[in-house]
Amino acid sequence: MKLEGKNITFQYDNGNRKILNKFSISVESGERVGLTAPSGFGKTTCCKILAGYEKPDSGEVLLDGKLLSQWKGYCPVQMIWQHPELSVNPRRKMRTVLEEGDEVDERIIEGLGIERDWETRYPFELSGGELQRFCIARALGKRTKILLADEITTMLDLLTQSQIWKFLLEEAERRQLGLLVVSHSEGLLKQVCTRIVNLEHV
Amino acid sequence: MKNRRLTTVILMAVALVFLSAVTASGYFWKEAALATDFSRKDLSPSIAFLFGTDWMGRDMFVRTIVGLSLSIRIGLLTAAASAVLAFLMGTAAAVMGKKTDSLICGLIDVIMGIPHILLLILISYACGRGFWGVVVGVSLTHWTSLARLIRGEVLQLKESNYIRIAERLGHSRWYIAFRHMAPCLFPQFAVGLVLLFPHAILHEASITFLGFGLSPEQPAIGVILSESMQYLAMGKWWLALFPGILLLVTVLMFHFIGQGLVRLVNPGSAQE
Repeated sequence: MKLEGKNITFQYDNGNRKILNKFSISVESGERVGLTAPSGFGKTTCCKILAGYEKPDSGEVLLDGKLLSQWKGYCPVQMIWQHPELSVNPRRKMRTVLEEGDEVDERIIEGLGIERDWETRYPFELSGGELQRFCIARALGKRTKILLADEITTMLDLLTQSQIWKFLLEEAERRQLGLLVVSHSEGLLKQVCTRIVNLEHV
Repeated sequence: MKNRRLTTVILMAVALVFLSAVTASGYFWKEAALATDFSRKDLSPSIAFLFGTDWMGRDMFVRTIVGLSLSIRIGLLTAAASAVLAFLMGTAAAVMGKKTDSLICGLIDVIMGIPHILLLILISYACGRGFWGVVVGVSLTHWTSLARLIRGEVLQLKESNYIRIAERLGHSRWYIAFRHMAPCLFPQFAVGLVLLFPHAILHEASITFLGFGLSPEQPAIGVILSESMQYLAMGKWWLALFPGILLLVTVLMFHFIGQGLVRLVNPGSAQE
């Protein structure tokens, strides 16, 4: 599958400058694209548009040549957010987060180091890193083809970071997922990605 | 730390038992509350007549319990009615677009802007006073703050990350409404509902006291209090004191239940 953003222009309602101006990007199955830029250059906004959370002011997002907004039901493009504590319902047990995904494989749950007894807890009883593992698992449902990872390991220690990325790379390889990796860290992107796009220079 | 949870549950159970006992016994003592006996009039409190008797020889204890029972039943009815109204108005304002939103918010502002008791008297009077006057009056004036709370909550939920993620995961509106929104709204709603009872009961008693509510032949707590006012100056303190205290206790019991509910359903304090 191929996800394309073509000539995307976007501006938030509060009338600030255009955060994205005629920006184009594409991610294909099996490809791992890195996206980097200083803070405030629209990395997260770009992800939100590509995943269908925001509509661009002009330009279009295409998935296999068809407008992303025309895909009904489960969206093959899934985004993992930077803040796991905002991405799970505080009043539902963690088990439901996994159930919400699309038949999340046992292999994924184990690979991410999610322990069984975490599933019966509420979100406030887990740490940020533990929550993020659930969010990653949820986004890796069966029908996910393209994964957008928005600074997903920024808040984790190095050991956990490498554990999660090692698993994600294996999983992407095995399922031929397309990956868009957003990060401040040049080192991480060089390790993980097949090519790197810098938002600052476009 | 299990202790706090246990004490909360016990306190709630006690309050619940007290309220049900009052409500139930009021039902059975209906006749007894009206029985007059001039051979025992104006007795001060004793073992036989805990709250004394009034100028017609009626047992004040029985009268008070029957009055409270009526108040609690009216309170339940009106609180439930206004909570349902609040829920409908609140969600309608949040999901039915800008026009509906500003209309409902305007209505809430208008109702909240008018002094509560004034509007209550007006509606009750327009509905011909009596039981239905009180019920309609209290129901129509008490939904506003809960509606505003629910509107805010739904608006916030609609924009929350986890609900937008659920949409992208292909879940239906029903799934989101029942699985995601309901668990967040229910505690607010339940607590709001329980905390509406004391308001409803106090307002029912006040408009009856002022003569715009229930009719004088009903043994309502407001009627009892307003009648006893005339006898207070004659040194018959027990006529107003005990029914007043019992009304206060009833209201406090509802308050305890509400507070306990907050503590139990809130994930942040549920484990304390």
